Amino acid sequence: MSASATPGLLDFVVDRLEVGIFVVDSGMQVVLWNHFMVMHSGRSAEEVIGRNLFECFPELPKVWLEKKIRNVFLLKNYAFTSWEQRPYLFRFHHNRPVTGGVDAMQQSCTFLPVKGGNGAVEQVCISLFDYTDTALYHRQLTNAIGELEQEKAEQRRLIDQLEDAQNQLLQSEKLASIGQLAAGVAHEINNPVGFVNSNFGALERYVSSLLTLIDAYGSADHAAEAPAIRQKIDYEYLKEDIAVLFKESRDGLERVKRIVQDLRDFSRVDSSLEWQETNLHTCLDTTLSVASNEIKHKADVVKAYGDIPNVECLPSQLNQVLLNLMVNAAQAISQHGTLTLATGTEDDWVWVAISDTGSGIAPEHQKRIFDPFFTTKPVGKGTGLGLSVSYNIIAKHNGRIEVESELGKGTSFRIWLPIKQKSELSA
Amino acid sequence: MPLSVLVVDDSPIARKMLIRSLPAAWDIEIAQACGGAEALAAYRAGKVEVMFLDLTMPEIDGYQVLETMRQEDMNCLVIVVSADIQAEAVDRVMAMGAIAFIKKPVDAAKIEAVLRQYGIWV
Amino acid sequence: MVTEKFKFVLADDQKEALQEIANIGMGQAGSSIAQVLGEFVQLSIPRILVVPPEEVPTALAWNIGEATVSAVRQAFHSAMRGEALVIFGQHRCNDLADLMGYEQDLDHAAEIELLLDVSNILVGACLGGIAEQLQLNIGFSAPSLMADALPLEQLLQGSPVPWSTALLVEVNFRLETRSFACHLVLLMPDEEVKALMVAVDHFLESL
Repeated sequence: MSASATPGLLDFVVDRLEVGIFVVDSGMQVVLWNHFMVMHSGRSAEEVIGRNLFECFPELPKVWLEKKIRNVFLLKNYAFTSWEQRPYLFRFHHNRPVTGGVDAMQQSCTFLPVKGGNGAVEQVCISLFDYTDTALYHRQLTNAIGELEQEKAEQRRLIDQLEDAQNQLLQSEKLASIGQLAAGVAHEINNPVGFVNSNFGALERYVSSLLTLIDAYGSADHAAEAPAIRQKIDYEYLKEDIAVLFKESRDGLERVKRIVQDLRDFSRVDSSLEWQETNLHTCLDTTLSVASNEIKHKADVVKAYGDIPNVECLPSQLNQVLLNLMVNAAQAISQHGTLTLATGTEDDWVWVAISDTGSGIAPEHQKRIFDPFFTTKPVGKGTGLGLSVSYNIIAKHNGRIEVESELGKGTSFRIWLPIKQKSELSA
Repeated sequence: MPLSVLVVDDSPIARKMLIRSLPAAWDIEIAQACGGAEALAAYRAGKVEVMFLDLTMPEIDGYQVLETMRQEDMNCLVIVVSADIQAEAVDRVMAMGAIAFIKKPVDAAKIEAVLRQYGIWV
Repeated sequence: MVTEKFKFVLADDQKEALQEIANIGMGQAGSSIAQVLGEFVQLSIPRILVVPPEEVPTALAWNIGEATVSAVRQAFHSAMRGEALVIFGQHRCNDLADLMGYEQDLDHAAEIELLLDVSNILVGACLGGIAEQLQLNIGFSAPSLMADALPLEQLLQGSPVPWSTALLVEVNFRLETRSFACHLVLLMPDEEVKALMVAVDHFLESL
C-alpha cells in the first residue's frame, strides 16, 4: 500500500474500476462487491455482502467454482479462468446491444489470495475482466482463417487437376513425337533389311551354283564337266562377290541393331522418372541417330562439343526436348543446310545449342513459340505442342531455354541446365 | 558417550542444511551417507543409533531403506527428513517404523521437539 | 541485446544447491496437488540441465516417453523471470476431472480448462517453493495452451526460444491410482539464470 494514496482514493479506485471485483471469505460469504458487479448483476452491495455467494447466485457452477476458490485458500496461489475455455462466470449482458454477435459478456477472471498476518489465506479476491471485444475479434479471425483454409483446399484440388492435365498433355505429345519418329525409324530399318534381303537372294543363287560345281567335282561321271561349269557360273567373280555380299549384309544388320539400341536408349522406359547424372553428348548422339532419317537429306551435322560435366537430369525427358529441337531445325531447312550441335559450361550451368541455317522465326512470333498449340505449319502437320512441352520439361529441370533467330538466316535454340539440382527438388 | 548419528541424503547441500539445524549442544558423532546402499551398510555395521533419512534418492530410496531395516529388526531410531511432504508419505513412513517425519526445509525447532519427545536429547 | 552466444555453466555447488532447492520446491508441489486431489502423488527426482534452447526438445524427449503431447505455458516474473511448461501425455488429465469438481464427461473446452488449472497449481506450488527457499518474490501470468495433441518435436518449433541458454528443471508427477502423469519444465533466459545464481550463492553463503 502506497503511503501517498489515501484510503478514500483506494476505495474509489476499487469500486469504480471498469473491472468486476468481489471478495469472499472461507465461508464463501461475500465481503466486497464493487460497482461493476453491482451494475452488471443488478444486485446492490447491501443485498449481497454478508451472504453466501452461491445462495445469491444459484446459477453459478457451484461444485466447480467452490473447489476452485478453496484451492486458492489451500495452495495460497493465484488461479485463473479464461473466456476461451469458459465464456463467462456470471451471465451478464454485454455492451454490444447494437452490433452484437455473442449472447453474453465474455469474461476472464483472476483469483487472488489475500493473506492475513500469519501467512494463511483469509480471503480470495476475484477480478472479472470483460473480454467480449477480444472474443468477437477472435471469432472473426477464426472464421476468416477457416474460409481461407477452404479456399486453399479448393485451390489445391484445382492445382492437382491441372497437374494431371499437364501430365496427360506431356504424354500425348510424347506419343505424337514417337509416332512421328516411327515412320522415320521404320524407314531406317527397312533400308538395310531391304538390301540384306536382296543380298540373301543373290547368296542363295550363288550357293546353289557352288553346290552344283561341288557335286560335279564329287561325282565320277560328271567330273569332266566341272571346268565348264566353273566357267559358266563365273567362279572367280562369285568368290569375290560372296565376300562383298556378306560384308554388306553384316553392316546392314549392324545398322539395324544400332538403330534399335538407339531407340531403346532414347526412350529408356525403365528409368524415365529417376534423376540421373547424364552425359549430354551421349544424349545428343543417341537422339541424332534416332532422328537421322529426318535430318540426313536436309542438313550436314556439325558437332562443336565442349568439355562439359555430367548433368543431373531426367534423360528420357531431355531426349524428347533434343529430338523436338533437332526435328524442328531440320524441318526449317528448305533445301539443304547445316545443323550445328554445340555444348559448353559456365559457372554451375551447362548449355546445349541446336542451331540451323533454316528459314528463321519472324520477330513477332518469337515470343509465342513456346505457347501451347502455336504453330506456323499448315493444319495436320504437327501438334504445335512440341516446344511448349519442351519448355515445361526444361522448367522442371530448373533450367531455361532461349531462342535467337533471324529470318532467312537461321535459328539457334540454347538450353541452359543446372549441373546439380537442389536436393529438395530432385526425386 | 557421543551418540552416533547418520545423515542420509543424496544431496550434499541437504545434508549440510540438516546438520546446521541440529542442536549445537548435542553430544553426537555425525557420519554422512549419500545413498540407501551406504546407509544400509552403516546400519548393518551397527554404527548407527539415530538416522536422519531422506526419501527421494536414486537407486535405493528412503522407503526401501526403511523396509529393509524393518525386516532386519530395526534397532535404530529413524527420523525421515523429506521434501515429499504429502500426508500419505508421512503415514507410510510412520507405518514402516520411522519415529518422526520432518519436512524440508528443516526447521531447527521442529527437530528439537522430536528429539525431546523421544528422549534422545534433553 | 545479447549478440554473442553466451554459454552458461553452473558450478558444482551451485548445481547441488539448485538441485536441493528444486527438490524442496517440487516436494511442496506434490504435497499441494495431493491436498487438492486427495490422492498420493509420486515425484521423480528433479533433473537440472543447462542447455542451448534448440536442444530443449531433445532433452525433453529423452525423458518424456510420449510421442504426442499437450502443453501449457505460464510465465513467471518479478525477481525471477521465465516460463514454465507443463507437458501432458495422451491421457492429459481427464482422469482427474471429478477430483477437480468437473462432471465426468468433459467437452474439449473443459478438458483444456482442466489442463490449465492443473498446470497452474503445479507451477504455482513448484516455483513458489523454489522462490521461498531463495527468499525471492515472484508473480504469475495466466496460463495458456501451448500445444494441443502435437508431436513432441513440434513443441518448441512454432515459438523458438530466443535466448542463448535455457535452464531446464524437469520433474515428473504421477498419480498412483489414476492414469495421470505430467512433466514440469522451467525455462529461463540468460540474464535471469545469472540473477538466479546470485540468489543461489546467497543461499549457499547462509549455510
